[in-house]
Amino acid sequence: MGKIQMFEKPLGMRDSFPEVNEQKEYIRSTARNFIRNKGYDFIKTPSVEYFETIGKASAIDESSLFKLVDNQGETLVLRPDMTTPIARIAASKLLKEKNPLRLAYYANVFRAQQREGGRPAEFEQLGLELIGDFSAYGDSEIIHTAVELVKALGVESFRITIGHAGLLTAFLTNNTDTVHQVDALRQLLVEKNFVGFEQELDNLGLLQEQKENLTKLIDYTIDFKVFENFRAYLTNEQQYLIDQLEQFKRLLELQLKDPSIVSFDFSLASHMSYYTGMLFEIYAAGSGFPIGNGGRYDELFRQFDEQVGATGFGIRVDRLLEVLPKRDVEEKHTLLLFTEGAYLKANVLAEARRNNAERVTLQYIESVYELDVYKQSFDEVLIVSEGGSLRE
Amino acid sequence: MNELTIAMPKGRIFEEAYELFVEAGFDLPKEINDSRKLIVEAPEERIQFILAKPMDVPVYVEHGVADIGIAGKDVLLEQLRDVHELLDLHISNCYIATAGLPNTMMNEIAPRVATKYPTIATNFYKEKGEQVEIIELNGSIELAPMIGLADRIVDIVSTGQTLKENGLVEYEKIVDISSRLIVNPVSYRVKSERIRAFVAQLKNELIKR
Repeated sequence: MGKIQMFEKPLGMRDSFPEVNEQKEYIRSTARNFIRNKGYDFIKTPSVEYFETIGKASAIDESSLFKLVDNQGETLVLRPDMTTPIARIAASKLLKEKNPLRLAYYANVFRAQQREGGRPAEFEQLGLELIGDFSAYGDSEIIHTAVELVKALGVESFRITIGHAGLLTAFLTNNTDTVHQVDALRQLLVEKNFVGFEQELDNLGLLQEQKENLTKLIDYTIDFKVFENFRAYLTNEQQYLIDQLEQFKRLLELQLKDPSIVSFDFSLASHMSYYTGMLFEIYAAGSGFPIGNGGRYDELFRQFDEQVGATGFGIRVDRLLEVLPKRDVEEKHTLLLFTEGAYLKANVLAEARRNNAERVTLQYIESVYELDVYKQSFDEVLIVSEGGSLRE
Repeated sequence: MNELTIAMPKGRIFEEAYELFVEAGFDLPKEINDSRKLIVEAPEERIQFILAKPMDVPVYVEHGVADIGIAGKDVLLEQLRDVHELLDLHISNCYIATAGLPNTMMNEIAPRVATKYPTIATNFYKEKGEQVEIIELNGSIELAPMIGLADRIVDIVSTGQTLKENGLVEYEKIVDISSRLIVNPVSYRVKSERIRAFVAQLKNELIKR
């Protein structure tokens, strides 16, 4: 690597220029109003946390963490997600005051890029967490809120695919012999490596019946949308999973205006190991990556010694920006150029216009570098001199 | 019906894959083979082909500028990109292996391995419990042991002819390689009907083979 040049930024770090920044601000304020109306409270957490706690509890791969060392020699991390810090606050304080708890955030998170650009290492995420509710009503609220929020933000064409971590684990466990096999197969599903999945079935030395059952998981011609079809593959103790899912689906159909946005795929698996129940991803035309994801993560709270149900989702603002249509901001930006001696007069004029909800830039004319170029950034230009003001 | 964009590797894999598509019943233009264009339309099928370097196909698919791609498993293993691997096309079959001069041992102090596939090579030796130094080369990997740059190479072997002609022998086979159909995760959901139909049609042809 050569000498770092003055204009360079660390890999994956991005500036937000005014136009993009305004877009983000629009997303933030729209989302904030929407989410607060749903009864969620916004909170902020520190950018830096301990590696021992948040770093380890978060499901983000250690190699993606930005690490620092404090003056006591403790390893710190730049927060790689918001769900884990929120779980920390909820478990240690807020749950004792209010349970169930509805929290929301709009924050930047950090994930180091090892290989190349094209992906940001710092990005904004907005999301919400419903903590203290084990029920399907909670799951349905989360999906419904995600759908309505994405719509409210102006995304025209999107889909949500829902899977179930608990059901997948049960199905894999019932058809394999060891935990190791379950993990190997689940990892291939996370990677959506169907070719590898089929090869692994041969390598693992499973019974013919087990292999046939497992193949059904990636054969989309079999309709598991009818959850009843799943019952035959589950033990008596596992049947409650289907009961829960059926209730969840009924609630969704009741709540969603257009249920066709949502579909179920039980091969959906996540690298986030703390998901225990339903999990989902949001896909929108225009971005090659999911714009958001979420699910039920009761397991995370066990790391904070709490037994509570929790479900939520997050949306990547950077990916949202890719799919949102360009918004034309209707605002008038006026330039008041004043000459020597007209300062007070120009100020009075600017104040009057600003009170009228106009954007006004006040500028001493002699300081402008290239007047013709500078003027182009504004909708209206006025020159204020001692003699009077002149519209350009 | 949605338009599908398919990233195809130029060269030999392209010809085999194209033949597979035609045999699977897709209505594709004939002159595509000898065209020098980088983007080729197949209007009857509403398919657009992007012709890319084999190593670049997963990049296009990961970023979603192509919905589907055809990529060698070697490239997928090397780059570890976020794409769905849906079908083994069983074309361009070969494997990755280690090779070196006959009857040689690895240098004990600083064993050196030359390869075009640093990730695959690193993972292979890591799993074996050996720490090696990887030297990344872009071609003519066989040269490395001959001129004393490395003790071993990790490279693609299809017939073994190149190794033989250069006086090298194969030591360990690492993994089988063939061409795979890969899909962008968002396209897989947003254009799911179209892509599933496409995959099913290809799968039917593959079963016949």
